[in-house]
Order: sequence, then structure tokens, then C-alpha cells
Amino acid sequence: MNLASIRQRLRPVAGETWLGLAYVLPIILVMASLVFVPLVTTVIDSLYRIDPMRPGTPFIGVLNYKNLAADSNVQHATWNTLVYVVLAVLLETAGGLAAALLLNKVRRGRQWLLAVLVLPWCLPPVVNALVWLWIYNPSYGLLNNLLKAVGLLDNNVVWFNDHNTALLLVALVHVWRMLPLTAIILLAALQAIPADLYEAAKLDGAGRIKCFRMITLPLIAGGLAIALSQSTVFAFNLFDEAWILNGSSLDTRSLIIQVYMSAFQNLKFSYGMALSVLAMIASLVVSLVYVLKVYRETRFD
Amino acid sequence: MLRRHLIASLVMLPLSFAVPAFVPSASAADTVEVLLPPWGTLPKAMTDRLAAETGTALDTQTLGWDQILTKIATSMIAGSPPADATEVDWSWVGQFGAANWYQPLEGVVDAATIADIPSAKLFVFNGQLLAVPYANDFRVLIYNRDHLKRAGIAAAPTTPEQLLADAKAIKAKHISQYPIALPLSASEGSATAWYLLTKVFGGELFNDQFEPQFVKPDSAGYKAMAFEVDALKSGLISPAATGLKDVEVQELFKKGEASFDLAGWAGNVAVYSDPAKSKVADQVAAALMLTTTGTARTIGLPEAVGIPASAKNKGGAKAFINWFVKPQNQIDSYQTLGNLPTRTSVLKQLNSEGKLKSGDVILQQATLVDPLFKQGTPVWYPQFTSAVSSALNQAAKGELTVAQAVAQIAEQAQSAMQP
Amino acid sequence: MRKLTLHYLGRAGFALAVLVLLLWSLGPVYWAVLTSFTDPRDMLSEHLSLWPQHPTLEHFAKLFGASSASQGNEVQSVWPQFSRAFVNSLVTSAAATLVTLAAAAFGGYAFVRLRFPGRDLLFGLVVASMAVPAYTVMIPLYRLMISLHLIDTYLGVTLIYVSAFLPLALWLMRSVYQSLPVALEEAAWLDGAGRTYTLVRIVLPLAAPGLIATAILTFLSAWGQFMVPLVFSPSLATKSLTVLIPEFVTRNYVDYGLMNAAGVVAMLPPVLLVIFLNRFLVRGLIAGATK
Repeated sequence: MNLASIRQRLRPVAGETWLGLAYVLPIILVMASLVFVPLVTTVIDSLYRIDPMRPGTPFIGVLNYKNLAADSNVQHATWNTLVYVVLAVLLETAGGLAAALLLNKVRRGRQWLLAVLVLPWCLPPVVNALVWLWIYNPSYGLLNNLLKAVGLLDNNVVWFNDHNTALLLVALVHVWRMLPLTAIILLAALQAIPADLYEAAKLDGAGRIKCFRMITLPLIAGGLAIALSQSTVFAFNLFDEAWILNGSSLDTRSLIIQVYMSAFQNLKFSYGMALSVLAMIASLVVSLVYVLKVYRETRFD
Repeated sequence: MLRRHLIASLVMLPLSFAVPAFVPSASAADTVEVLLPPWGTLPKAMTDRLAAETGTALDTQTLGWDQILTKIATSMIAGSPPADATEVDWSWVGQFGAANWYQPLEGVVDAATIADIPSAKLFVFNGQLLAVPYANDFRVLIYNRDHLKRAGIAAAPTTPEQLLADAKAIKAKHISQYPIALPLSASEGSATAWYLLTKVFGGELFNDQFEPQFVKPDSAGYKAMAFEVDALKSGLISPAATGLKDVEVQELFKKGEASFDLAGWAGNVAVYSDPAKSKVADQVAAALMLTTTGTARTIGLPEAVGIPASAKNKGGAKAFINWFVKPQNQIDSYQTLGNLPTRTSVLKQLNSEGKLKSGDVILQQATLVDPLFKQGTPVWYPQFTSAVSSALNQAAKGELTVAQAVAQIAEQAQSAMQP
Repeated sequence: MRKLTLHYLGRAGFALAVLVLLLWSLGPVYWAVLTSFTDPRDMLSEHLSLWPQHPTLEHFAKLFGASSASQGNEVQSVWPQFSRAFVNSLVTSAAATLVTLAAAAFGGYAFVRLRFPGRDLLFGLVVASMAVPAYTVMIPLYRLMISLHLIDTYLGVTLIYVSAFLPLALWLMRSVYQSLPVALEEAAWLDGAGRTYTLVRIVLPLAAPGLIATAILTFLSAWGQFMVPLVFSPSLATKSLTVLIPEFVTRNYVDYGLMNAAGVVAMLPPVLLVIFLNRFLVRGLIAGATK
């Protein structure tokens, strides 16, 4: 590529700026009015004491945030949420990648297999959680009965009596529901890899693992970053599964459940909003860390 | 080409639905919007009668019970009424009252009617009535007559010790593996069961200054929790109870696996006696709540309807509430939706007509309903009760001792009371 | 010989992987379907059975029938409500998918191929908004929707869905455009074709698999939404299935059969959509890549 053509490509085509802005104008309008303005309002509200049970809404600065740091329920919920995030991201990425690779190889009946794969997501969340509640039921649940049938268990186990097991089981229901999202994103990325790249690599004598490392992984890095971020964000926002399976129990209480309880049950509105802002920042930071890492490590020339 | 065509026709299809999307907000002056849970959603026969008798058309929003508070809080904080009349649970009274969200109903419903509804006093905040109860719910002891007979027990237990002895006898004869049904999960149903047992052991949760009264080992609250944990440890309550909510525990009773529904809902006697829903329909009986003092005290957890202070059609809402608490409508609501009437006169009438299962016990127990908080439901009740259910659940799972659990509740209660 | 063994081992491993996927996805769904056909009395049974002992259509009859039973009483049929909520879910999810797709198709292209001030900042902000929890913006959003008179309208719910699912769609479409060779577009420009014409006639057909994947994801996300319709769809005019189904929980009786039957019916549209669209997701790309 010569210098002139590079210059040519760098120089904006006449009207390009306006065309670009025209293309993104709907996005700016929708996101600004429905997300960013409300978000800024909430952040500002979190600096006031907005508690309908007490008169006035005085400015209190970062007092809500200070109180949050000392709240033992918040500490519990934070820890639980971090566990959910780690479990969800690991299991969804590993499982989703495996499912995507599998679907990419299937020749016959692929659309049926994909339909099967997305089924968990199609079940309304409430029905989903109730189905799992029944599976985990300590007396008649499928889980106990299956484990007893294969001889791994002698007596029924009350699964939610153990703090760690409870966290794992809640995370598992979440993973079951969210894995299709990761799988579809990665499948779309896999589909975009031209087949001739693999053929060329095979001619060079590259094995399967090498092909995966040298071709597949770098080329799906974009999709992987998207998938990882959404896994993280959805795990930070985990609510339904923990709420229906184990109620407000501290063992499985997530940050968003804590937000809900503070703002909508205890009606300490700005306190809950401050916590939700912190949860948002945390999920952003975590996502950003590995979006950057994925992009950096898999960049190829 | 074919592909694009198919996609285009597929995506155009729903668009044709989307056009008539704008629904004009109800403008007719005699339409009343109400926000109620599924069991407050009246059948068509009743709403037709409402229209015929009062000229009001009912526009009902039905929401699951958990979600109603979310909906009310969102719209109130955003400054718009959720509906003209809404559900008000007894546990929200402190918050709604302090926030001035609901319109006082003095003079809206006549005094004689209010006097006929004893549970109305639970909805008084600062001397003002905020909502009128439409569904009664207090606790009675429900038991399986057949189990007791087979274990050679002549009468229902009246004290906690008798209950334990009876349960042991039933377990010993292998009639039921876990005779007592009681929820111990981290849910509201477990917390209210503990409040009930605190009354059974003859005490209160708080004194007049809202100081916790359940921390000392000889206090009623402490004894009540120890009673629950011991019953669990000695195998009289199913180990699964630590994960079961109240409705799930009730399933155990319906299946005939448990002999006592200790914190039974009065309205559930009818449900348990229905062969379509219960395997023990002809073995169910109710008895007065246990007691250690001689008076079988119980707690009531009724639900009511109130009018948001910012409601648009207050006149219509008042007409609806007045109509809803009429005896005939309470009877209809009981027969179609299972809401136990709140008017004493209606309960008596149903009993005399033989339409109230275990009616004598229920009528007697109805006169012994104590408010959970003498001063009225405090604003910090939601925080307090979630601390209770968490600590109780931890104690049942053996993560905390009873002493630690009650201390944790007291500590969190005090922090909830801090502004 | 050894190669043949490896081949069979590979086939066996492949079959095993498919089987695991089937079990993982279908197991719990099968359980839901099973429950929807189970006699209510058998639901309280202690014996585990992997198929209904006395299969019944009772729950579906409650759903579709002219009258329904609740707590043992004959009550009004739930079908008018259910069908209305079904249509509402369909309309809002489809409309949200369409709008999101259009915005992401043009916007994503602009973020890759067009240069304008603030481009990267805008993209970063929009993608970052994925992390905003629903509760955080709910009350300001509610105020806004009231002032615009958009509460309980298809338009209001659709717009909120779009704002919620656009970031992911946009990010996906951007990565799709990034993977397309720019050479084809340049050839079209040289022939004198305008930018928009090139995008619609040349780029979009190539990006079809990405568009389909985005459409599937958006539709599914909107279909499963609970919080948004809960607050913004107070009445049956726009109430969605996900909000209606939990109402089958009455105070002293959880109608598992009815809930599961409703859940099974609710699964159908997304599943049909996937079966139908997936052909395009997979075939389209192979055609596009070899061009």
C-alpha cells in the first residue's frame, strides 16, 4: 500500500462526518434520553437523602456511600456477587465455546441443535427458577434422586443448608439460562472465519490445537470480548435465580437483591441507588479489565 | 432474493400489530383503577354487580404480591399515583403512613362497618385509618385428626410441651416422620411464625420504647426460637424446612406427611378440606393456638385497600371500597377467591350457615387476635423482618446458636431504627 | 488402522458431546413439559417418574378453555388474558428487534467505516451502558415515561427495550463489519455508488448472518424481560407473558401445572424463530465468505 493511497484513505470523504452522524443520530437520541439522562439523575439523587418516610431531601454528599461501606449486609452481598461473577464467567465461556465449536462442526440438523441450545433462554425466568426449585427440592428433587440412583449419595441432602453449595447451585441456574447467549455470539464469530485459512494451515502441517490457538482464538477475540463482558454484566445483575431459589437469605443474596431490598422494601431510596451505582461501576471495571486483556493478548499481525 | 423476501415479510408482520399501540388513558369519570394481587382480582360476576349497583367500572391491574410494593414505591417516588385504590399490606402501614402516601379514610367508611372489622386497627397510623381490610388472616393450629387418633391422642395440644409430646408419639408410631410443619427458610413466612410463637410463649417482641425483648434466655422470643431449633434437631420438623417457604410447608401438610400445621392460616382450613387440592381433606381440623399463659393469643396479618393521596378518582375509589366491604361482597370474595371475611358479622353468618370449616374455632380465635406491634407497624419493619428471617435460618442450619441469632437480630433492629 | 480407530474415537466423542448438550439443555425443559402434563395429584407424589403416570391435558385446558378453575372454583377463563399477553409479548419483542436491528445495522457501520467527531467516545459510552442495572434508572425513566404519556403503550415499552438491548446489538454488528473486507465496498464507490446504497445493497447482504444472530439475541432478550413490563405495563393493554405467568401463584396455592403449561406455550415463538432463522445464520455466511 503506497503512501498516497494511505493518505487517501485517511482523508475523510466529503460529507462522511454528516453521514456518520446521521447514521448514529437515532442511537444518540434513544440512549441519551432513556439511559444517560436517567443515569445522571440517579447519580445526583444518590448524593441526597431521598427517603419518602422523612421530610425534605437534604444534600448529604457521599454519606450514603460511606454508610454502604460499613453495612455488613452489603459486604455479604458483594462477596456473593463476586463468586457468582467468577463462576458464571468461567462456566459460560467454557461451556459456550464448547457448544459453539460443536455446532460449528455439526453438518446435519444444525438448526435443531441450535434451537435446543437456546431453549433454556426461552423459558420465562420465573418458570425457569421454579423448575430448578423443584429439581433442588430436598425431599423429591431430581438432583437427590439422580445422585442416589448412581450411588453417589446415601441420604437426601438439603442443598441450600450449605453456604458454598447454595452459591454454586444458584450460579448454575444462572449459567444454564445465560450460556446460550455466549454460545450464539461465539458461533457468529466462528462462522465469520473463512474456511481457506484452516486449509492453508493444514497444508503447513499445523495440528488441531495449533489451528485453534493460531487461527480460531485470535479471530474470535472480538466475539469473546463481547461474550465475556455480557457474562460479567449479567452475573453482576443476578436477581431472579437467587430470589426465587433462596429468598432474601444472606447466604445467596446478590448485590441487586440488596439494592431491591434497600430501595423498594425498606424505601431508603437514595441509599439503594448509591449501591446500584457502585454495582454498575464494579461490573464496568471488571468487564473493561478483560476486554482490554483479550484484545491485547490475541492481537495478531 | 427469496431469503430477503422471507425475512422482510416476517419482520413486517408484527408491525401491523404495532400500529394501534396508543391506548388512550381512561377518561371516563366513573372508571376506577385498582391495583390488587391475584386474590383481589374480582371475577366478572362481581365487577358486573359493582357497575350495576354503583355505576363504577373497575379497571384492575393485577400484580404478584412481591411486585406490588415495587410498583407503588416506583410510582409514588416518581410522583404519580399507582392507581385510584391499591393493596395495602399490614406490614407497609408504618412506611406508607410516615411517607404520607395514603389518604386518611375517616368518614369514608361508616363507623359501624369499621367497628365490625377488628383488624382495621392494624391499619391506623398516628390515629388515622389508612386502609380498610378486605382479607383476614390470622393463625390457628391446624392438625390431622386421623394422625392424632392413630397415635392414641384424644384432643389437640394446647401448650408447646403437649405439642412436642404428641409429635414424638406420632413419630414413634411411624405415622409421620416429621410431624410438625413449620417454615425455617430465609423468608417472611418463617419470621412471622417466630413472631407467633413469641406470643405463644407469652411475650412481646418489643416494649413500649421499642427495646428488643427477645435477647435474654428466659424471654419469650428466645424460648420460641429455641423451641423451633430443638424441634428441628430432634427430628420433629423436616430437615428440609430450612429451605421451604410457608406455601411449600403447607404442601407437606396437604400430602399428609405432617400432622400439625403449627402456624396455620385460618383461611387454609377451607383449602386443606378441599379434596381437589389436598390428600387429607376429610382429616383436617383446627384448634386454638397453643399457649403458655392460658390465653390462646395469635397474630393477624390482614390485607387491605387504601387510596393513594394523589389518586385521580378518589370519589370512585371510595365508592369501590365501600362496596367491597359490604357483607354480600365479602361472602362472594370468600367463595370465589378464598379471602376470609374481615367482618365479624359475616364470619358469624357463614358459620351459622355451615359454610365455614371449623367455624367455631375460627370465630373464637378471631376474637383473640393481637397486633404484632402495639404502637402500630413501625417504618423499619421490612429491615427488621429480613434480619429475623436471615438469623432464624442461620440458627436452624446450625451456623449460629440461638443466643447469637437473637443478639444479631437485636443489633440489626437497632441499626434499622437509626435514621 | 490406527487412523481409523482415531476416526471412530473422534466420532464417539462428538456424539457424546452432542448428547451432553442435549441433556443439559433439554433435561430441565423436559421437566417443565412433563409437569405441564402431570395430574395435580401426581405432582404431590413421592415417586420419581420420568414420564407422566396419568397424562392429562387439564392444565392446558385451564389455559385455553372457556372457563378455568382457581382454588377449586370455576372462574373466568384465563385465555383472554393469556392470548392478549402473548400478543403483547410478540408485538413488543418483534418491534424492539426491528428497531434495534435497524439502528445497529446503520450505527455499527458508521462506527467502523465512517469517521466523525466523538465516534469512539460515543461507542464506548453506549457499550458501557450495558452495565447499568435496571433498578438504577427505573424511577427517572418512570417519571420520563409519565411526562411523555408513554406508560402502558407499545411504543414506550419498545423504546425501553431498544435502549436496553441496543448496546449488545451494536457491538456485535460492529465486530461483524470489522470482519468484512473493505475491498468490495471500495469497488462499489469507484463505480459511483453512494455510501448508503452500498451499505444496503452490498454490505448488509454480506452481514446477514451477523444480523440474524443479533436479531435472535435481541428477540430472546426482549421476550424474557420481566422488570420493564412489570413497571411500565400496568394493564393488559401491553402486559407481557412474563408478568402474567407469576400471577398464577395465588396466596395459598401455587398452580405449578398451569405455570408450566403457560411456560411451555411461551417457549414456542422463540424456538420457532430460532429454527426458522438459523438456516440463514449458518448458510448465509458460507456463501458470503467464499465470494
